[in-house]
Amino acid sequence: MNFNAARALAIALKEMRHILRDPFTLALGLGLPLLLLLMFGFIIDLNYGDIGLKVQDQDHTRFSREFARTFSSSGYFRLEPFSSEIAPVSWLDSEKASGVLVIKENFGRYIKSGRQGGAQLLLDGADNSKTGVVLSYLAGIMDAANRKFAQTPPRNSPEIRTRFLFNQELNSRWFIVPALATVIIGLLGVLLTAMTVAREWENGSMELLLSTPVSPLEIVAGKLLPYFALSLTGTVTVYIAARLVFGVPFNGSQIVYWTACSVFITAALAQGLLISVVARQQRLAMQLSMISGLLPAFLLSGFIFPVESMPVFFRYFTMILSPRWFMEISRGVFLKGAGFMELIRPLSALLAINAVLITLAVKKFKTDIEP
Amino acid sequence: MKLNPAIMGFIKKELTQALRDPRLAALIFLVPIIQLTIFGLAISSEVKNIRLTVVSRPGDYLARRIEERAGASGWFSAVRIDSPAAQDYAALLREKRTEAVVAVPPEGLSRALERGDAKIQLLIDAANASRARQVEAYVKNVIALALADNSQAPPLPPVKLDLRVLYNPSLESAIFLVPGIMAMILCIITVIVTSMAIARERETGTFETLISAPVSTGEILAGKTVPYILLGLAEIPIIIAAAVTLFGVPLRGSLLQLAGAGFIFVSTTVMVGVLISTFAQNQQQAMMGGFIFLFPALLLSGVMFPVENIPEGWRLLAYLNPLMYFAKLLRNIMLKGGDWGVFWTNIGALCAIGATIAAISAARFKARLN
Repeated sequence: MNFNAARALAIALKEMRHILRDPFTLALGLGLPLLLLLMFGFIIDLNYGDIGLKVQDQDHTRFSREFARTFSSSGYFRLEPFSSEIAPVSWLDSEKASGVLVIKENFGRYIKSGRQGGAQLLLDGADNSKTGVVLSYLAGIMDAANRKFAQTPPRNSPEIRTRFLFNQELNSRWFIVPALATVIIGLLGVLLTAMTVAREWENGSMELLLSTPVSPLEIVAGKLLPYFALSLTGTVTVYIAARLVFGVPFNGSQIVYWTACSVFITAALAQGLLISVVARQQRLAMQLSMISGLLPAFLLSGFIFPVESMPVFFRYFTMILSPRWFMEISRGVFLKGAGFMELIRPLSALLAINAVLITLAVKKFKTDIEP
Repeated sequence: MKLNPAIMGFIKKELTQALRDPRLAALIFLVPIIQLTIFGLAISSEVKNIRLTVVSRPGDYLARRIEERAGASGWFSAVRIDSPAAQDYAALLREKRTEAVVAVPPEGLSRALERGDAKIQLLIDAANASRARQVEAYVKNVIALALADNSQAPPLPPVKLDLRVLYNPSLESAIFLVPGIMAMILCIITVIVTSMAIARERETGTFETLISAPVSTGEILAGKTVPYILLGLAEIPIIIAAAVTLFGVPLRGSLLQLAGAGFIFVSTTVMVGVLISTFAQNQQQAMMGGFIFLFPALLLSGVMFPVENIPEGWRLLAYLNPLMYFAKLLRNIMLKGGDWGVFWTNIGALCAIGATIAAISAARFKARLN
């Protein structure tokens, strides 16, 4: 098959004009990165605080007040005391609290006499988002409370010093913002490409193009180039926002990062092309790219829900998804300053997936256009 | 009541068309179950499978106790002891070979404790801040347990906290997530299917034919929305059945509440779909419009992130989000048995939002037809 760069470029220019003329595509291509940055940069805050906690103090001693204060002084909870006439469960049934703390009678007396003071914490098992957060803070709070009430400092206890590497201030934005590039490429690269090329098949203009002296490879290259540029623009936007607006450090190598970006974008475009050839219809192309592109990028890549926490099957399953590897690379490069050698595993996985997708896409495309 | 034959004709035609296309039928009935399965199983905000490395002189008794305790706790997936021979711990973390490193004094923890100034260093990969915080708590807990094993009479902690997670005592993440995800899926499907179906008519030009037919705009609107409301409603029993049978999610509330909430929600989202289609020239634009609605709607629904944690000004967006109310209703009805106070408050809010959206989209739909 012959390949003429000038002809491919001509098609790319034509496609570019299409995008610029279509306000919706343009809005999505440029607006979506901004929307995501706004959502994850400002609106959604993973540093939880100010969780309403209802407190029923049946003890009313210095100890019980001290115990309740451990919760509020952790900075995560806002205490709302209530009287003993109300059943604690009713707060949860009526969705008026996400947790209820009941400090039992004789709490203080028991602690003073060396026995255990009783308390109960009821959490709302219907709401994972809040309960998960409360559970994650609980161990630290109980640790602090027990240390406070311990009569004699435990002998022989070692001093444990924790160092949080790569993100000393535990700022969750540092985790989320650099990772947005993955989601944006998952959306723009796969979905937009699949839909646009499927539209050409649907209304027959692809056949028309193929009957011209332009070779199929030139068509593909020309079609994909603008989407490559669009995806790259999204990534650059995220990069600039992460560095300037959110102050995320970039500790790694620019070369590694942008190379990985290009490989990932290429993989996404190949996936989009493959979908469009298989689907040939916009509606189907959209569904396929949602299921195989956007949702994995969002939910199975470790963007918010860590891959490590998934069941065994999914931990292996995510290995065939390029977003998971790119996520690892982008976080490694940004926060950990990981170099080429340290990222050899995700990089080679990404390259392998990329090669498979391109081969499949080109092969399917070629067999489809042969008479 | 006599049904309008024009509307009935519409409904029959739309339903036949939707169900005849096997791919669309698959989207409506099969895809939700696949999504439910993937999300119900894979997503979890729990911290599990922590990889821990204990750096210690070989043969140190306490370091081995820490390793054993960690292995038995169920939070860690791989625990290993590494010799302190000039390992760069930060590099271990950078290569993702481990997530946390416990480094004990070079002469061994047991001996350092006897001497009385034992220092343990704990290094944690904090790229994911919220996970790191939990990893720290777990590792400290394991160390405390290992030390308690060592001392003669382990002292009981002064406070005995009885922790109860109601409605989901064994903390199964499927029970946590499935009701919320059901609401999300229902929202996605109804909005996308409705808006794309109308946009396709516009794209292929069959919409113009409709305008010239002897039916009123109200009839066209009803004919285009009622079938999708019916499809959405048909979907509810399917996903509920999947949730109950596949994931063992309890259904404690009344079916009547569920049906009422489902009907109002599906009507609202179908009208959102109509509204989006009035802005779109073709299917691609309809889909993108769908995204522009769905992205914020899903993220601000309280299913994945608590609404209370959204900054004050932005929280208004969440209160305008029909999905937030429906997700709350579904959780309350399925897991808590449906508190009537919660039911009526949320249904009221949902009705108000639904009516507003319906009025706007009906007006726009008619304006575009005429």
